Amino acid sequence: MTILTRRGILAAGAALGLARPSIVRADDRPAVTVAVQKISNTNTLEPLREQSNVGERVFHTSLWEGLIGRNYQGALESVPVLATAWRRIDERTVEFTLRQGVKFHDGETMTAEDVAFSFGAERMFGPEGAKPEAQGRTLFTAETNPGRAGKDLPPEVPAVARRMLPSLEKVEIVDKYTVRFVNRTPDVVLEGRLSRLGTEVISRRAFEAAGSWLEWSRRPVTTGPYKVKEFRADSMLILEPHEAYWGGRPPLRELRFVEVSEVSSRINGLLSGQYTFATDLPPDQIAGIEKNPAFEVRGSTILNHRLTVFDKNHPQLANPLVRRAFTHAIDRTAIVEALWGGRTVVPKGLQWDFYGPMQHADWTVPKFDPTEARRLLKEAGYKGDPIPYRLLNNYYTNQVSTAQVLVKMWKAVGLNVQIEMKENWQQIFDRNSPRAVRDWSNSAAFNDPVSSLVNQHGPNGQQQQVGEWTNEEMNRLSVELENSTDLARRRVVFRRLLEICEREDPAYTVLHQNATFTAKRRDTRWKDAPAFAMDFRAHNWGG
Amino acid sequence: MPPTDRTPVSTGKGRRDMIRFIAIRLLRSLLTIALVVTFAFVVLRLSGDPAMLIMSVDAPPEAIAAFRRSWGLDEPLWTQYLKYFGAILHGDLGRSMRDGRDAIVLVAERIPATLALTIPALLIKLGIGIPAGVHAALHRDSWSDRLVMLAAVAGFTVPSFVLGLLLVLIFAVQLGWLPSGGQESWRHAILPVITLGVGGAAVLARFTRSATLEVLGQLYIRTASAKGLSWGRVVRSHALPNAAIPTVTIVGFMVGSLIAGAVVVESVFSWPGVGRLLVVAVANRDLAVVQCILLLVAATMVTANLIVDLLYGFLDPRLRSARSAGAG
Repeated sequence: MTILTRRGILAAGAALGLARPSIVRADDRPAVTVAVQKISNTNTLEPLREQSNVGERVFHTSLWEGLIGRNYQGALESVPVLATAWRRIDERTVEFTLRQGVKFHDGETMTAEDVAFSFGAERMFGPEGAKPEAQGRTLFTAETNPGRAGKDLPPEVPAVARRMLPSLEKVEIVDKYTVRFVNRTPDVVLEGRLSRLGTEVISRRAFEAAGSWLEWSRRPVTTGPYKVKEFRADSMLILEPHEAYWGGRPPLRELRFVEVSEVSSRINGLLSGQYTFATDLPPDQIAGIEKNPAFEVRGSTILNHRLTVFDKNHPQLANPLVRRAFTHAIDRTAIVEALWGGRTVVPKGLQWDFYGPMQHADWTVPKFDPTEARRLLKEAGYKGDPIPYRLLNNYYTNQVSTAQVLVKMWKAVGLNVQIEMKENWQQIFDRNSPRAVRDWSNSAAFNDPVSSLVNQHGPNGQQQQVGEWTNEEMNRLSVELENSTDLARRRVVFRRLLEICEREDPAYTVLHQNATFTAKRRDTRWKDAPAFAMDFRAHNWGG
Repeated sequence: MPPTDRTPVSTGKGRRDMIRFIAIRLLRSLLTIALVVTFAFVVLRLSGDPAMLIMSVDAPPEAIAAFRRSWGLDEPLWTQYLKYFGAILHGDLGRSMRDGRDAIVLVAERIPATLALTIPALLIKLGIGIPAGVHAALHRDSWSDRLVMLAAVAGFTVPSFVLGLLLVLIFAVQLGWLPSGGQESWRHAILPVITLGVGGAAVLARFTRSATLEVLGQLYIRTASAKGLSWGRVVRSHALPNAAIPTVTIVGFMVGSLIAGAVVVESVFSWPGVGRLLVVAVANRDLAVVQCILLLVAATMVTANLIVDLLYGFLDPRLRSARSAGAG
């Protein structure tokens, strides 16, 4: 028989009192599992190394935040994130007012010190810093492989940083919550550059406390609404809520990204209730999933266009008339309807709506006009000589089927294009045999044509770097577009660049905008963004 | 049991012969491993650029160049090979180009996950395949023989990814009894283990049946029966030991593939084992990791074969005496 004593009753009461807060704190928020094809290509969570679309999905907006972000529930326009305001001091300088009360995952308060450190030598530019003499160099004196050498940056990190911010001179701390970004040259798109992947802010103290760069890159301390709980490379990333998040209490108890390489496995996991979201779905799977009325596939266009790219060194493509014939022979709408179920669009050339005042809304891709294509080929004197088309096996969604359609369309106007299957990009770029046509996609890292047209086809862009194409006027105007601060003049220059690259001396032709598709239960109240990013902040969950 | 020369191996000469036999096998094994490593090195280096695969084709050219330089990928192939081979001889298997960690650490982290599938699957293969094969042989042309062989042919011919997806559709999607993938609990292992086990059990059943049937047709089986031994004793003492040799060969292969024998199944079930690591590493030309896995697989296979060879001698004294004669 149990005898109740006064001491025993008091002890029991005290125990109940102690237990009560844990009952109050019981977390009834949902846990979400997102099945993705890939979490990170580089096995790191550091955007300066993981500059990929898959990285953007995990990083934005759950983990990493910068001074300026994008409105993922709108048209990707710039929105204040860790900065509340910014203003131009002069053509080379932008001043940012920092948001106050922002806490890092380790509880430290974000200040101007952290912002300056985030764009400094230790974290971004390496020992040579952002000095002018370091610009344009591809190799660095402090080259080390990541992982063993403490905090030394992997050499590709400074290389990425210098490409992102090619003329950044310094970041000045004005006061605890004000910083100034100073460029060496006038740069009208500096604000845009500071909204792109790779320009996020880190905790200086946490970076310095980490044992090595590798250790840091797998558990970064940032300001995002979720923090890293566990990262198993190639397998799983588990995020937990950052309760002191400046933007309000995160709506999820746990956010889990699991790597499921097979499409069918992602779909099966969703249908069986194991996953909340199945991402990276090819368009041909949509109808099958939506047969079940409980599920829907959300998807939209992203900041990425699919292109056909030309090598004008090929004897048959040296004449721009032949390349122009290629561009007029393509029925892009038919491709979008047949292979994408009409779920994407044919864009207005290599530009996006979020370019805002820089966008040329009246610009179009070359018109589908087989008669004109035949006329151009006749004028060029093309005799039906074979033109190789180097193709990867579905590196891009629908890549092979698109290529087969394209070859038929080109054949219809008299172009003798022959597909050569290749295994990897090295073989695509190989110069030991004639190159002519290949596939590519271009993204816009920020809201200006410098981010895409200049960055990818200009003098330092990939197409010119691999020796496929060059144009003296294009190169001269690219420099002007980067340095000019006159909006009207920049618009004129951009239009001329479009004319050169897409009409007069085609470097490429745009096929369609890319899209990404994500399946979920219909009763999951969440809205997809027009980007790879998945927004799991409070305003986009359960509303 | 057929008559044999019962030369004891415990004599000095027998022991020396055995040591010599094992030494030759080991040397041959090392040569095999060296050839595997060399072949993998050349093929991987020539078939893709890790910089472009890991950094992505859209990375700035400066970043790709820096990556190549930092990992020595811009050096001549033979220089890279000599450095790599030299490092192996010093016990350094290199580091992953994706995250900078030691390849051996990455691989070692994945081995328990793979063994968590392959060992239970091996037990299923042995526990079902061998008894089923023996049963079918002992009941040749009966309905149970035909049933076993029908199941074996089905298990043998259905690819593991088809069987895996079928099991997922039934037990995860339709019935909701088991998870469709991942590695969070023992329940997640059930479907991949069954998928792996079924195919192997079918193979083993077929081999065991044919090996047992062959032995049952031998004269010494008839002699043993004629001596008045019970059929059970004849089977246990004379048929099964002799039928074990071809079966042991197959089991040896199965043991040898414990480390990397679940590539497809791990992909279908998103199981983070060595197989998945191999697929990802090959796709990214993460050379050190691929070579580390191949080295491990080759070593496992060679070791398993060596053990099988030794088992032959244990199971069949004729082979042992033949080796002694050959060595002498």
